[in-house]
Amino acid sequence: MFASISSAVLVGAQGYPVRVEAHVGKGLPGFSIGGLPDESVREARDRTRAAILSTGLQFPSIKVTLNLAPSDQPKSGSAMDLAIAVGILAASGAVPPESVARLSFIGELGLDGSLRPVPGVAPMVGALGDSDVVVPVGSAVEARVAALGTVRLVESLGELVAVLNGQIPWPEYDAPEPRCEAVFFPDLADVQGQPHARTALEIAAAGGHHLLMVGPPGSGKTMLASRLAGLLPVLDRERALEATMVNSAAGVQLPAGGLITRPPFRSPHHTTSGVALVGGGSNTVRPGEVSLAHCGVLFMDEIAEFAPKVLDNMRQPLEDRYITVSRARVHVRLPADFLLVAAMNPCPCGGGAPGACQCNDAHLQRYIRRLSGPLLDRFDLRVNVHRPGVEELLSHEPGESSAAVGRRVAAARVLADERQGCLNSRLAGNRLDEFAPIDDAGRAVLRHELEHDRLSARGYHRIRRVARSIVDLRAAAQLQIDEEAIQVALGLRASLNTTMRIGRVA
Amino acid sequence: MSVDDGYLAALAGLQLMNPNRLRHVLNGRSAVEAFDMATGAAAPSPVLTVIFRKNKGLAQLWQQQRVGQPPESWAATCAAADVQVVCESDPSYPAQLRGDPGAPAVLFVRGDLSVLDSRRVGIIGTRNATQQGRATAVRFGAELAAAGIVVVSGLARGIDAAAHRGALHAASGRPAGIVGNGLDIPYPKQNTDIWNEVAERGVLISEWPPGTRPDAFRFPLRNRILAALCEVLVVVESREKGGSLITVNEAINRSVVLMAVPGAVNSRASAGTNSLISDGVQSALETADILMALGLDGRRAGRQRFDARPRPSGPQADIVAACRDEPRTLDNLLLSTGLTIGEVALALARLERDGWLIENGGWFEAVDEWVDLT
Repeated sequence: MFASISSAVLVGAQGYPVRVEAHVGKGLPGFSIGGLPDESVREARDRTRAAILSTGLQFPSIKVTLNLAPSDQPKSGSAMDLAIAVGILAASGAVPPESVARLSFIGELGLDGSLRPVPGVAPMVGALGDSDVVVPVGSAVEARVAALGTVRLVESLGELVAVLNGQIPWPEYDAPEPRCEAVFFPDLADVQGQPHARTALEIAAAGGHHLLMVGPPGSGKTMLASRLAGLLPVLDRERALEATMVNSAAGVQLPAGGLITRPPFRSPHHTTSGVALVGGGSNTVRPGEVSLAHCGVLFMDEIAEFAPKVLDNMRQPLEDRYITVSRARVHVRLPADFLLVAAMNPCPCGGGAPGACQCNDAHLQRYIRRLSGPLLDRFDLRVNVHRPGVEELLSHEPGESSAAVGRRVAAARVLADERQGCLNSRLAGNRLDEFAPIDDAGRAVLRHELEHDRLSARGYHRIRRVARSIVDLRAAAQLQIDEEAIQVALGLRASLNTTMRIGRVA
Repeated sequence: MSVDDGYLAALAGLQLMNPNRLRHVLNGRSAVEAFDMATGAAAPSPVLTVIFRKNKGLAQLWQQQRVGQPPESWAATCAAADVQVVCESDPSYPAQLRGDPGAPAVLFVRGDLSVLDSRRVGIIGTRNATQQGRATAVRFGAELAAAGIVVVSGLARGIDAAAHRGALHAASGRPAGIVGNGLDIPYPKQNTDIWNEVAERGVLISEWPPGTRPDAFRFPLRNRILAALCEVLVVVESREKGGSLITVNEAINRSVVLMAVPGAVNSRASAGTNSLISDGVQSALETADILMALGLDGRRAGRQRFDARPRPSGPQADIVAACRDEPRTLDNLLLSTGLTIGEVALALARLERDGWLIENGGWFEAVDEWVDLT
């Protein structure tokens, strides 16, 4: 007897439909699985067998052959347990084959026949199109976010068999419908003083510019960075789905509503490995931090302490906004469109006012060299952050709230979108003259900087993009970039070399 | 170049050689005799016997070097690097060092030693200097050099280099540089241009032969030579425990007149100089003060440079005034002036362009007209 059951596997952050073909027929008793299963799939043999027996059903004592089609694609994970069990039951006649024809099954089986949620239900359900899908109760929220067909929830294999045999109707379980959920973000109003860094945050949020903060310990870099995600606008449905898929695939706890609607904020520690940062793994390709921060903010504190090799992995995602993870048998493309915020000390000793640093040259050089030039070049905004003065700390005057700044940011993003259809940081160099023309005074300033070797050609474009965002934030549709915006942009591009006391080219 | 030069260089270049050992080994002997004695070709003197007994393996080490690096190769190295070798018995040996308790037995020299016959002022300070400190050093260096004074310094990063830059700026400047490594290795590298110019126009002195690496322990040693060669020693900026204070102690031991440049009380770079001043050291506010200390007419040190910078006005003047008190950050200026970030950024950019301010790691410092040389 033969049965073919629809299910799905997860590769990276993407679900792929899989047919679980089960054949139960003559031969010596045995149970084999084909179709490039990895160890976690092969273990399904024992789980399904035990689950079927625990449910009080017969496990066929003749030859059981399973094939996972397409059979040249390596498969991993326990999400096909349920489909395998159903396939065996259908092939051995325990459930009517026509009852499973229009259904897909996702879920891991316990030895007692219970069903357990698996990571990545959202992308897997999304890959199954409009077929009805059966998932564990615990995966209800994730499944409903992505499902086009009906989502059926079951608690155990026994319950499912009863439903398929028409003994009981599909059970109803209470699971919250996907909806927007207010996520708590720390408020910008908590930051005392720091007007310069606040401006930089606002511009970074408005134009999508990557931001590097350089400052001594205790200057509030982490505090500022953690407030950036709260300034970004709420994700639209499409972006929210993308972010939800990736986070679901990585097994990250989703918000109660299921859908990630606020930009995620990720802050990997500086001991993070390269694979954990960009994604990878030997059998299963798991999304890394850059993908988990998709549509949100990736904060790399103490960026100079990250291993240089790990940092260089960041170049492709920063450039292409996705990351391709290639292994011998799998190539996975993971989304990685994030706003990078990095923080570092000006030197190993922490620095401070001029003359306070006590590092020697060799230490300093080694410290800076950890950040490669190409990576540094990706930061449109580089600000020096300083310890707030005593008066600023004691002023108790609350700064502007995230909500107020967020409104300006949203307005500026709308302006940019209407004008050029993308964020300012994504403006191509050849479109700058059209969308960010500079007035004469501003041009003179830039000419002066270029002539004095204080600005590179690449830096020139970056300054223009940042200045574009500065003008957009003024909430008046002004096409021309004036000198003031250029100067502010230049002030927000602290040349690391002066910070590090070497040269001056930005 | 005499035959002795190679032997003297070979002696000074022996591994684990230090100024004291060199003095004991030479001790009035000819270079050839001393070299033979040190490298086992002749019987060691009683003092050397004690040294060898206390330092196991030293005798063998030096014997090996006799073969590894013979005096002839040293002579060639010195000649190639254009380095003269001067020992205490030479007539050209600086008179100021004769009779000095720490006088080096052998000097390696590039340039003209007779430069040291003029009046000499040492300008030293921290390597992690502020822009203001560097500008002060440049001003002193230039104005002293213009008054015909030889500026003596250590060619280190920061204040030392600034003082030399200033001295070289004056057309008549003939500075003296006292360094702690071989004269063929400019150190630090970014000062290579000053290094060579000092050797060309003035004199460059080291007690180590060419090829000696800039090891950390050599710099405190060279400070005693620097102190011995000055009539007046000016400390521009120094930490509370800076290396400049080693030179200060050497100067005090030699009764060299000491002067210090005061700084802001909360500036770390001026902590050492301020404490010197509170200990009674004379303060050097302008070049005239230093000339007076040399017993010269202070009026010779009028400002040598016309301040051609356009005067700031309005908020720009306020910003310059604020930065003159102490280095300021942009945040700081935004809060104290009440201007918008755009206005402050514009003002700062113009002030920086006109040479009134310098940005240093996000801090803005007010500087004087000498800033372009720092």
